[in-house]
This record gives sequence, structure tokens and C-alpha cells, in this order.
Amino acid sequence: MRHPSLRARRVAAVSVGLVLAAGAAACGPEDNDAKASAGDSTPHKGGTLTVLNSDPQQDFDPARLYTSGGGNVPSLVFRTLTTRNRENGAAGAQVVPDLATDTGRPNKDATEWTYTLKKGLKYEDGTPITSADIKYGIERSFAPELSGGAPYLRDWLVGAADYQGPYKDKKGLSAITTPDERTIVFRLNKPEGEFPYLATQTQFTPVPKGKDTGTKYEEHPVSSGPYKVVTNDNDGEHLVLERNTYWSASTDAERKAYPDKIDVRSGLDSSVINQRLSASQGADASAVTTDTNLGPAELAKVTGDKELAARVGTGHFGYTNYLAFNPHVKPFDNVKVRQAVSYAIDRSSVINAAGGSALAEPATTYLPNQKSFGYTPYDLFPAGRTGNAAKAKELLKDAGYANGLTITLTHSNSKDFETSPEIATAVQDALKKAGITVKLQGLEDNDYRDKIHNVKTEPGFFLAHWGADWPSGGPFLAPIFDGRQIVKDGANFNSGFLDDKSVNAEIDAINKLTDLDAAAKRWGALDKKIGEQALTVPLFHPVYKRLYGENIRNIVISDWTGVLDISQVAVK
Amino acid sequence: MSEAFVAVEAAGTGTQPVPAVSGARQFWRRLRVQRAALVAAIVVALLVLVALAAPLLTAIEGQDPTTYHPSLVDSARGGVPLGSFGGIGGDHWLGVEPQTGRDLFARLVYGARVSLGVALAATAVQVAIGVVVGVAAALGNRWVDQLLSRITDIIVAMPLMIMALALLAVVPSSFPRPVLVALIIGFVAWGTIAKITRAQTLTLKELDYVAAARLSGWGTLRIARRELLPGLAAPVITYAALMVPANITIEAALSFLGVGVKPPTPSWGQMLTSADVWYQAAPQYLLLPAGALFLTVLALTVLGDGVRTALDPRAVSRLRVGTGRKGEAKADGGVGTVDAGVAKPAKTVGAGVEKEVRS
Repeated sequence: MRHPSLRARRVAAVSVGLVLAAGAAACGPEDNDAKASAGDSTPHKGGTLTVLNSDPQQDFDPARLYTSGGGNVPSLVFRTLTTRNRENGAAGAQVVPDLATDTGRPNKDATEWTYTLKKGLKYEDGTPITSADIKYGIERSFAPELSGGAPYLRDWLVGAADYQGPYKDKKGLSAITTPDERTIVFRLNKPEGEFPYLATQTQFTPVPKGKDTGTKYEEHPVSSGPYKVVTNDNDGEHLVLERNTYWSASTDAERKAYPDKIDVRSGLDSSVINQRLSASQGADASAVTTDTNLGPAELAKVTGDKELAARVGTGHFGYTNYLAFNPHVKPFDNVKVRQAVSYAIDRSSVINAAGGSALAEPATTYLPNQKSFGYTPYDLFPAGRTGNAAKAKELLKDAGYANGLTITLTHSNSKDFETSPEIATAVQDALKKAGITVKLQGLEDNDYRDKIHNVKTEPGFFLAHWGADWPSGGPFLAPIFDGRQIVKDGANFNSGFLDDKSVNAEIDAINKLTDLDAAAKRWGALDKKIGEQALTVPLFHPVYKRLYGENIRNIVISDWTGVLDISQVAVK
Repeated sequence: MSEAFVAVEAAGTGTQPVPAVSGARQFWRRLRVQRAALVAAIVVALLVLVALAAPLLTAIEGQDPTTYHPSLVDSARGGVPLGSFGGIGGDHWLGVEPQTGRDLFARLVYGARVSLGVALAATAVQVAIGVVVGVAAALGNRWVDQLLSRITDIIVAMPLMIMALALLAVVPSSFPRPVLVALIIGFVAWGTIAKITRAQTLTLKELDYVAAARLSGWGTLRIARRELLPGLAAPVITYAALMVPANITIEAALSFLGVGVKPPTPSWGQMLTSADVWYQAAPQYLLLPAGALFLTVLALTVLGDGVRTALDPRAVSRLRVGTGRKGEAKADGGVGTVDAGVAKPAKTVGAGVEKEVRS
């Protein structure tokens, strides 16, 4: 986590896109299956799929994109060594091979990973894809002018910390070797059992050296996927993709690529997107969105209309919204005060503020409630649905606050239904019942983020959230609870200042595991152990609900992204 | 009221056979005959009364503006209020807020306190600064006038909302928010009233009675206080009455943008912010604060117009309906709006005196 600030910002950006109008709803993957088979079942090739988005596909360069699992629109153009499994629900949280023949072969302690490319892989111009192109693609993501991707490669690859990219340093990265045209080997400076998850990101896309135009490459990146870029107007605001005739389904088990053409239109207001999808007129009948959820008010309208309700996709993205304590600030240095707040919280009113039970599920664990994260249910400070005021008062009395307590809750003034005033006032009302008076401190959004991620200005009690770059316990727990990741100057995410030797050791031990299922179990156990410190009060896990047009078929929503996968969609 | 004003009114008694009375009573009489203004005044008085009696009214209802009622909203449907018309009933007279179940009647009447209070306080600040700057510019020497007038020009040219947003962002959030919002609106938007005051003072100071005061050895301050301020009352009160509704909408806009008063304190602007997305699913949630704001601004504007008509004997109400002064209006030939009066104060005041005397 050398550059956590960047990462936080991008994770936040993803979350804003995902949560935009506020959360989404629960039903689960079974529901989606039922819907898909109930409608006109068989998907056919052809037609044009329209994508209505609020955020433009800016910097459409594989080096610069920060995605989870390769992204949605980017994944149509860029293939990577591995990718996410394009299946509904929990199965979709698995990592599967893409350009490579498997998800990677580690050495004994997971510090060296070897991949072999499939046979017959071609770019949009018919030239073959080689392992050297993948090495080159990764190297150019280190160039300062092509920044934007996740910080992991720089942290993990041997000797990469100060690498400045292939334009300045022609020799390249010695940590990556390509013994032959189809083999690529990565050497890491510490064991990383989760390397296959990292290899899903677009930095692992092949880039032919001869076609690299530096910062201009984003205008026409060379496609390795089923579609190529035909038009890119206004820095990704309007993107038109057409079939890449050299792509072959025989080498790609993941992307279905039913439509002939994809028309991505961005820069739209979220209410406009939802209005157009619900009207489903003309081209909008074959439209989806990859970044706009239904908000609470829109959900209220949609659920009252059977036709519309049948056109809502529901998904879960690994994400937790919580209250964070800074134990360096009084009275939160006292674990009894933190426990009292944990007992007093009224999750039902917080969930209503976040959009209601259809858009948020109560959280009592820090890890998201999904198997791939190693979710192990626990409720250490049972508050019930509406809070346990009696128990909270008792703890406050023990802590020396028999006559009640006044604390300040810091939140942002954005309208994200995550850290916004609505959630803060719900917390305020909930704690009132336990005799805790909460004063609200609302900050402008950027100011808020700067303050909570700086060890010098971190408030005592604030609204926070975390989403992982891939569906595993590692990127969820390590940045927040690993004592060695407390950043003194720069963006810090270990807001509870936890530096527990046994926790740090367990994180190292799990990172060595290459059996991801076994690793997940241990992340779950670690989560519970950390939970005993009451450094956070988990509030809810958001659920995403999104409308799609009347003609849309073959709905697949994985737990990895929580949103409809456009590589699977058909419009006929 | 001023000697000058009384003098003018006294001269005008030929038109309306009323005994020479004090300026205030004359003003009240002129205001009373305008039916629209009278209705507006009653509405404004009721609104102020409701705002002042908010705790009492909500106590009668048995609710308060901040308590959550999760059981009154449908959580599975995004938190839309249960029951018809947004949960209107004996317990909740105007229904409940979506997602939280907070009582809308209580939030509306408590919101009136913030909206009206901030607007009135901001107007007071604007008038105080504007009159002082305007009079000082008119009475000072060339340099003082140039300096103050250019500062006024800059303030007028400044985009109010952007200034207010910037200022609200830098002030620490521990500062009481409603006071801050009132102060900022007051300090950013006093330009127009300063210009009006300066123009009017320039006219007044050339009049004979001011010259007489000067000749008898009075100092500038005393002249300003005793001779000029009373003469400024009419345009300033008029303009202030029109600024109140403008300030209400500014407060609403600032709260709408999330920098106004802090939650859970309700204000109409804040209610509008959270209600705008609910216009289809729970229309009454949007209609209540919007309706209250509309009614208040309309009433204050009509009242402001009435005040202007009552203070300016020559002006013709733009709202002729219900003024009961149609004949007079015709006789006057329908001249004079606030702006015309501002632009050419010398002519208006001078002609006014002349005409009243002649008729």
C-alpha cells in the first residue's frame, strides 16, 4: 500500500458509481436465475446494446484503468491473464483463466508465479499475442504519465519500487521474465497467494510495443477482446465498440459477446438514466447501465409497478459501511465506550436512511457477507434490530459516564447515502436512546476524506466504508488492521491504529496460502478476532438494484461486481 | 416619520379628507386600503406566529421534529411512508418523512423558524450595512464617494451564491449555522440597498430643509441622523420588504446545496433537498415545503409592494387588484416603479411633492 491515497480515491470512485443514488436491494442470485429463464429464454447474436452511464470511460488505456476484475466495459476490449468467473452469485466471485491456460502456477512459498498463454490468441489486426506483450503492458503502467492503476504491482514485484516505465528505462522489469512466446514468470518480494486475483486487472492486458502511442494509446487501444474501439469521443463520453473479427470464442470461455455493436453513452444524470431505462423507448429498450443504481425513491416507484419490477437486476458487491473510532481521541480510548456505542446502534433506522431493507443488509461483521471473503457470521455486541440501550447504559456507567455522554460524529456533506448527513442523523437518533448525545460535524467531501485519512487530523468518531479490489479477505482486512500499514505521513487507512503482533503475523501467514478456500476461512476467523477490539461498528452491506431495458436477456450478476455483466447480455 | 414626510403627507390631505395624522398612522391607513396587501400581511403575521409557536403546536400534535419512526415507513420499498397520502392521520397531521418516519408537520413549522429567522436577520444586516455605506458615500468628499461606490459596485457584481458557498465552506462548523447563514447573506448582498441609499441621499441633501439645517451650523452626523435618515425610510423599508423573500430563497438554495443549516435542524430548503427525488413516490413530501415557501415568498412580495405603494404617494401598485386605488392610479398616469424611483429619485420626489400640492 505504497500509494493508498490513490487507491482510496479510486475505491471511493467505484463506490460512488456503484452506489450513486444509494445502494440497491436484496433477493440474491436465485432470483436472477428465475427471471432469466422466465423471459424469452434463448439469447441470440446480433443487434446493438446501448449502455447509459453517468461516469465516462475516461483514460481508456489498460495501464490507467483501476478496475475490480477487469471492469465491465473495459473487459469487452481488454483480455487479461486471469479474469472473474462470469456466473451468477457466489460462483462469480471465483477467479478463472482468461488469456492463460490456468490461474497461475506458484512456487512453494508463492513468491514466483508462472503463466502459459493459450494457443491461437490474436489482436484485432490479426497479429498474435505474445507473453512479451503482457510484460510490456505491465511495464508501461509504471510510467508516471500512465498512472492510475492499483498500487499492488509496485509493492509486490521484485525491484519495482522505483521503476519509471519502459519509456525511460529500456531494460524493463527484471522481475518479469518471458522464457518463450507463451510463458511469463513473475517474481514477488513476499508470498502472495492472491496473485491470481491481481492478474484480473487491466494492467495484465497485452500491449503490442509497435502500436504503443503513449498517452494517446487510450484513443485507440489495440483490442484483444471480442470488441474493438471504433469511436471514442470526448475522452470516453461516447464510445462505440464493434466486433473484433480475430477474437475467437474457442479461446474465451468467459465472454459471450452476443450483440454486434456496443454504444456507450455517458455523462448522464442518474435520474435521467433510470427514467430512460424505465420508459424503455426505442434504443433504450436494449439498454443497460454499468454504474447507476436505483435510489430509495426510485425503488419505491419501481416496486409499485409489476412490469418495471421484473426488469430489476439485484446484486451484491463486497462492501461494508461502518462507524470508525479513533482510540487516540477521548473517550474512545475506553473500550467500554466503544462497546456501548456498538450495543446502542439502531441498524433498522440506519438501513432505512441508506435506502431501506431492499438496498442494505444489516452488518455485524467487518467482512462482507459473502463466502469468498471468508464471511464468518458473528455478533459480538448484539444490538438487535433497534439497539440495546439498557446494555449500553450499563457499560457507560462502568466507564464512568453514568449521566450520559456527549460525542461528535464526523460525516461528509455529499449525497452518497453512505457518509452523508442522512446516515449521520440516523446514528444520532439511535444513540440518543442510550443517553449518548451526538453532535454532528459535516465536512465538504474532499475535506472529509483528507481529514479521516490523515493520522494528525483523524476525528474520534466518523462514518466510513471499505470495498475490496477483489473478493477476498486480504485486501479487505490488511489495509485497515495491519499495524505495519499505519501511514504517518500520507493517506492512512488503519483508522483504529491497531498494531497487534498476532494480527500482523496471521496476515502474513494467510498471504502465503495458495489454497484460496483455506485462506478465506482464516480471514473470517481473523475478522472475528479483530472485531473483539470494537474499533468499528459495522452498519450495513449495500445491495445493488439496477433497471435494464425490455429487450435485455441473459442476465448474469456475480458477487464479484454485484452488477449486470455486459459481456453476457443479449438484446435479441 | 420625518418632518419632510409629514409635510408632504399634510400637503396631500386635500385629496383624501383625513385629519393630518402622524406618518406611521398615515402609512397604516394607506396600507390598509389595499386588500391584497392586507391579506398578505395577515398571512405573514400567521407565518411568524406559527414559527414562534412551533414548540406549542407540535406539543399539541404530540410530535417533535427529530424523532425517527421506523415503523411508519415501508423499508422494503425504499422507505416510502405507509398509509395513504404519506401517512396523514390524527397522529401525524401532514404525514411522515420517507425513510425516517419523522413528523412532517413538526419539521415544517420548525423549518419556518429557520427560514423566516435567517431571512429577517440577513435583511437587517443588509439594511444596516447598505444605509451606512450609502449615506457615507453621498455625504463624504469625492474620494470617500469614489472608494465606497466602487466597493459597492464590486459587491453588486460578485456572484452571491458562489461567494456564500466559499465562505460557508471555510468557517469552522462549530459556529452556529443559522446565524452564520444570516451573516453571510447580509455581508454579501448589501450592494443594491447601498446604491439606493446613496442616490436618495444625494437628492435629499440638495433640498431646502437640509440646506437650512446646514446653514444653522449642524454637523454632518447630526444632519444625517435628524434630517436624512427619516427621508430615507420610505425607499429603504420598501426595498427591505422585497429583500426578505429573496433572502428566504437564498437560504433555501444554500440548504439545498448542503451548506445551509445543519441536520437534524429542519429548514424548508433542506426539506426540499431531500424531497426532490421523491416527487413521484411521495409527492406530498415535496409539495409541503415547496408550498410553504411559495406562500411565504408570495405574501411577502405582495406585502412589500403594498408597503411601497403606501409610502410612495405617487406610485401605482403593480398589483392593481384589490388596492382600491384605481381612480388614483389613473389620475397618476401609472408612473413610477421601485426601479424608476431609484433611477431618477430627484424627479420622482420633486414631482411627487409638486403634484400632491397641485391636486
